[in-house]
Amino acid sequence: MPTGDKWVDRNAGPVVRPYALTGGRTEPASGAVLDVITVIVATTWAQETDDWLDLSPEHRRILGLCRRPVTVADVASTTALPLGVVRVLLADLIMQGRITARAGRPVGEEPSAALLKEVLHGLRAL
Amino acid sequence: MDSAPSDGSGDIPLAPFKILIAGGLGAGKTTLVGAISEVRPLHTEEALTQASVGTDDLTGVGRKTTTTVAMDFGRLTMGTHLVLYLFGTPGQERFWFMWDELSFGALGAVVLADTRRLGDSFPSVDYFERRGLPFIVAINCFDGAPRYDAEDVRIALDLGPRVPAILCDARKRHSVKQVLITLVEHVLASKVKNGSGSAPDPADSKSTTDPVGSEPATGSAGSERAIDATDSGTIREAADSGTTPDLTNSAAPQPTSSGSAPHPADSETAPDPLSSAPGGAPVPARRQWPGQELG
Repeated sequence: MPTGDKWVDRNAGPVVRPYALTGGRTEPASGAVLDVITVIVATTWAQETDDWLDLSPEHRRILGLCRRPVTVADVASTTALPLGVVRVLLADLIMQGRITARAGRPVGEEPSAALLKEVLHGLRAL
Repeated sequence: MDSAPSDGSGDIPLAPFKILIAGGLGAGKTTLVGAISEVRPLHTEEALTQASVGTDDLTGVGRKTTTTVAMDFGRLTMGTHLVLYLFGTPGQERFWFMWDELSFGALGAVVLADTRRLGDSFPSVDYFERRGLPFIVAINCFDGAPRYDAEDVRIALDLGPRVPAILCDARKRHSVKQVLITLVEHVLASKVKNGSGSAPDPADSKSTTDPVGSEPATGSAGSERAIDATDSGTIREAADSGTTPDLTNSAAPQPTSSGSAPHPADSETAPDPLSSAPGGAPVPARRQWPGQELG
């Protein structure tokens, strides 16, 4: 938040408008929009044999974060990039085969009672 | 299709859950999220929706068509693979385009209520009722605010008989923990009620427990308090108007290998504008108790 009437550094907002990082694209190239808690992870190929020379700094940074399974929200929060921008960049990486959205419980599906109980136990143990 | 990464997590996939923390401005959402997890900001740069055009003052901004919204975002890891994501979402109607997305596939929601400005909770309560997302109401006990019985608040908010309403202190970890436990128990109970689960009902009767006890904690009530509720003019009837999710997509199926497309599971729910929210989010069946009119 700006203090006083001077807006400096990050308070002044991004120097580059967010969607400049995506070349103005606001929709993921694949058309599929990732949920905030979709888990993504770099493919073995991207981790071991890929060279990242053709990637933008933002793509690289995101790809670096995906060495371990992370959610879309994690990526957006860590990079401080807006969610919409992160989605576009992630979709690029998915189409390049560098990351995959990981199989798991599909986001729209209701969790099973067993899983809910597990959550309950986890909370009680906090 | 997974090329399994060597991340040390073995075969256990990450099981992330979304929980929404809703409430009016200054109700204590940030405090609550911060009491139990590390809070980090999460920004969205979104196109202004029809709904927000009337609300956001665009004078002098010219052709601005996107707006940056920051929400509180907390991450709570339990064990090796369970992760709860808490999203503190702005309670005003104009942010509903975010809610539509966040509530898709969410575990449930907590409506954080401030007894001094109970009206601020109406839009949230209405929203979750319509959306069919299980929610509980947590009454944040601010210092100096009149203390009400949870039951009074339930009546004032016209909550359905099964929606738990509990008192809490958003600054206290153990209290927030109890809030989350109550929510998950409620979700579990409604699931059982719907016949979609097999578990015996553990706790539908939790409704009026008071996790805070009666200890009236003193100390700073949080700086949020200072903020005046200037932009909370939305009351019940506001619920009807603007849910025009501008994000066309949000619910698009994940590119998973399992091939199980999201299914709008039950058709029992009355058709309402929200059930056709992006991507046809599944709407759990239990809503619509008798005598409850929704906005």
